[in-house]
Amino acid sequence: MPALTGLLRRIQGWVRPRHPEPLPVRLERRRIYILPTGFGAFVAALLGTMAIGALNYNNNPALLLCLLLVGAALASLLWTQLQLSAMEVRAIQGEPVAAGLPMPLHVHVEAPPGRERRGLRVDIEGSAATLSLDDTGGEATVALATVRRGWLTPPRLRISTSRPLGLARAWSWVWPQTRFLVYPAPEPVGPPLPSNGGDAAEPRLDPAGEELHHLRDWRSGDAPRTIAWKASARRDVLIVRELERPRGDDVTLDWRRLGGLDHEARIRRLARWVDEAERQALRYRLQLPGAQPIGPDRGAAHRHACLRALALLPEAG
Amino acid sequence: MARHGLPLDGPGRRAALLAASTCLLPLLLQLPMPLPVIIAGAAMTAALMATRGAAPGWLRTVLALAVFGVVVAQGGLHLGRDTACALLAGMLAIKPLELRTVRDARSLLGFALFAPFATFLLDQGPVSLVLGLLGAALVLAALLRLSEQESGLPAGDVRPLARLSAVMRLIAIGLPLALAAFWLFPRLATPLWGLPDLSTARPGLSDEMSPGDWIDLLADDAPALRASFRGPEPAPRDMYWRGPTLMHYDGRTWTASSWLRAAPPAPVEHGATVWDYDLALEPTERNLLVALEMPLALPDGMRAAHEHTLTSERKLDRVTRWQLRSAPPVRFEADLPAAMRQLALQLPEGFNPRTRALARQWRAETADDGALVERALAWIRSDFAYTLTTPLAGRHAVDEFLFEQRAGFCEHFSSAFAILMREAGIPARVVTGYTGGVRNRYGNYWIVRRMDAHAWNEVWLEGRGWVRVDPTAAVAPERIYDTLADRLGGGGAGETVLPIADLGDWVLRGWNDFVLGFDAARQQRMLQRVGLERMETGGLAALFALCAALALGWMTWWIARSEYERDPLLRAWHRLDRRYARRGLGRARHEPALAWAERVLAAHPGEHALLALTRRFVAARYAPASSDATLITALRAHRPTPETRQ
Repeated sequence: MPALTGLLRRIQGWVRPRHPEPLPVRLERRRIYILPTGFGAFVAALLGTMAIGALNYNNNPALLLCLLLVGAALASLLWTQLQLSAMEVRAIQGEPVAAGLPMPLHVHVEAPPGRERRGLRVDIEGSAATLSLDDTGGEATVALATVRRGWLTPPRLRISTSRPLGLARAWSWVWPQTRFLVYPAPEPVGPPLPSNGGDAAEPRLDPAGEELHHLRDWRSGDAPRTIAWKASARRDVLIVRELERPRGDDVTLDWRRLGGLDHEARIRRLARWVDEAERQALRYRLQLPGAQPIGPDRGAAHRHACLRALALLPEAG
Repeated sequence: MARHGLPLDGPGRRAALLAASTCLLPLLLQLPMPLPVIIAGAAMTAALMATRGAAPGWLRTVLALAVFGVVVAQGGLHLGRDTACALLAGMLAIKPLELRTVRDARSLLGFALFAPFATFLLDQGPVSLVLGLLGAALVLAALLRLSEQESGLPAGDVRPLARLSAVMRLIAIGLPLALAAFWLFPRLATPLWGLPDLSTARPGLSDEMSPGDWIDLLADDAPALRASFRGPEPAPRDMYWRGPTLMHYDGRTWTASSWLRAAPPAPVEHGATVWDYDLALEPTERNLLVALEMPLALPDGMRAAHEHTLTSERKLDRVTRWQLRSAPPVRFEADLPAAMRQLALQLPEGFNPRTRALARQWRAETADDGALVERALAWIRSDFAYTLTTPLAGRHAVDEFLFEQRAGFCEHFSSAFAILMREAGIPARVVTGYTGGVRNRYGNYWIVRRMDAHAWNEVWLEGRGWVRVDPTAAVAPERIYDTLADRLGGGGAGETVLPIADLGDWVLRGWNDFVLGFDAARQQRMLQRVGLERMETGGLAALFALCAALALGWMTWWIARSEYERDPLLRAWHRLDRRYARRGLGRARHEPALAWAERVLAAHPGEHALLALTRRFVAARYAPASSDATLITALRAHRPTPETRQ
């Protein structure tokens, strides 16, 4: 078995592409491989038997039938290859996920019009998806397994098909020169968010709040229901109420305060807290060693910035 | 038993079952009753059960054994071709019972392809051909569906008709290769191994004849042979296609003499008229041939017995074609050896006493052999009638025919006539074969059908040798000499139907000539016609390889077509780029053309020409008004300057 895997690795070294390559990638003849499937070998043996029998008995209808099937089978091989030929992988887009979760990769493909390309298979390390091109473009989403946080260089991606007859499988490797970010895996269970962030509680303006913050002059675009009619009547100009909502403290997620944990466990705890803060709609600030604090803020972009910083922290030691 | 694999979905199952049953159908039509009924019943049961999922293993075993038992009970343990085919049909019928996964469906379809193949070994008629081809096309369509399911396409994605047209496209693309292989692939002149016999014989001429056993044959309007003449054609009256000559009579059955078959042909003096013709014989399961009387020389592979009964060295189990020359005999074995004479007078004792008494009475009254023959013919002409409905004969079959029924067909007439002559001391024998023929109005050929099978007599007369006498013609000449049109009564229906029938037969004959009858010899002849005189197997293989390569090239052109850069300017530009890429100076994907040329120039000061050329290219490509006639040539001619080479 080791000899076999060694051989397989050697073959992998020969196949095109031999290096990661920038997208877009065009699938041309020289990088499309085709081999018979098990069923294809069975049919070949069957047709071979039929041909020998027909030749021996000089049974021309049988021979003709056999040859027509051989011709159709060969044409189907061409068809199989044509399914991939001249197709272009335009882009591969990965959605960041926490390590350990499968990362959905969106593979965008284009092809010159005029040929039906349906039921292609896109697979990457055991995960597969069906790709059908409508008119000229199509997209398939495969799931790439993730293990560790940080940059993930994807392995070769295979686009293959055994249509139309299932006699042979044609495939082409695409080795995109790109990398995807994998967030650290959050701690599954952990302590609640640290309560005293250190910053004083600071009421913030919020149109959905209930308490009056102050009054100001009307500006175009203010909603009519925010107008303070009594105050406006008194002053003879339109006055608008600005509302506020009292909120908890900003949370500071500080690397230094997690001294009891080891390197990766800290990262995982912080990743959990980032998600927790987002869930509770709190503003949070992430303080990592040797870096400017991130935030305080909240929202998808902030969360991404925090998790990205966590994901890209160097390994311990 | 656990099976792994993608479970088969409904449309895939239906497609596989439809394809398998269509493949099975032509095979069933060839099997002797009641096998087809039993197997069709088993197939339907299996298909119905298959729609509910696979049957348990023990049930499959029981059914397989049952089918095997039925086939053996019908055909016996003699493993002939039709027994083997019946077994195949039976197994194919119950194969759907284990239809669970896509893989099962594929193996079912693979085995189903053997059914048309087996059918063609039994029969090559148009029905079998059409059904066989349809079955094969449906198998391909079912494979398409299975492949669709495997690649995750929903069932409604492709309509069944679209699938069938896709199959037709595949066949059409493969057709040049298939035809090149068919006409040019080296054919075996002699088979590597023989074809197993059919366990049941088919109707056709045989070397024996008992009264009544030709009834099936005389109702069969399938073609027996087609003949096209080069030069003069014989009158319908001369169209006696001579087959086996029957010498022995055992009181019931006439049989051919086996030792005469090995004897050298009897001497014949031929007449002046000569007929040159091509004979295409429909397949039978025998070696027996027919030819116009009498062949002048025999082609290779054919031999004549003493009575000029023709046999072929190989069994005529497919369409065979022969080139023959015949001339009517003037004198045929004028000196009859004593042994032959004795053989031609032999009669078994204890049969037909009244007939023999009549013959002896005639002999006593008439001394001249010729007059006696005439007398017998006159009696038959006046007192007898032609009919195909005759009762089953008893022990004295000829007595019953001559004195009670006085109606019958060629078998009765020829048998009775020969016995009369023999008892009267005139050597006589029965000759079987075909008479007449119908001219096809589209092709220049005559068609003789199985229903034209006939039996007549030869009597040996002093000085003339064997002379043909046809007692049936004395009664019903229209039965023998008239064309099919006359037989149909000249009614309106006959007139309108016949052209179509003729056209159909003409098409069939073309099929026979170019497909069914094609063999090593015809292949050589075909190549001779295009000027390739002697073609050894090696040369033929080379020619085939050439044509196959051409066909494959045509197919591959399909691939290249889509990748081919249509614009000649772009094509020349990309080639130029590739020449530089080989020196490690290729243009990066993001790099504009001029930026690239400038970069190359900066690294290699000799590359001024490239920059100038690139300017021209950019102008031609992006400034629509400009036209640069010599640009493409210049791009093609340009090479990196020598100092750029490392």
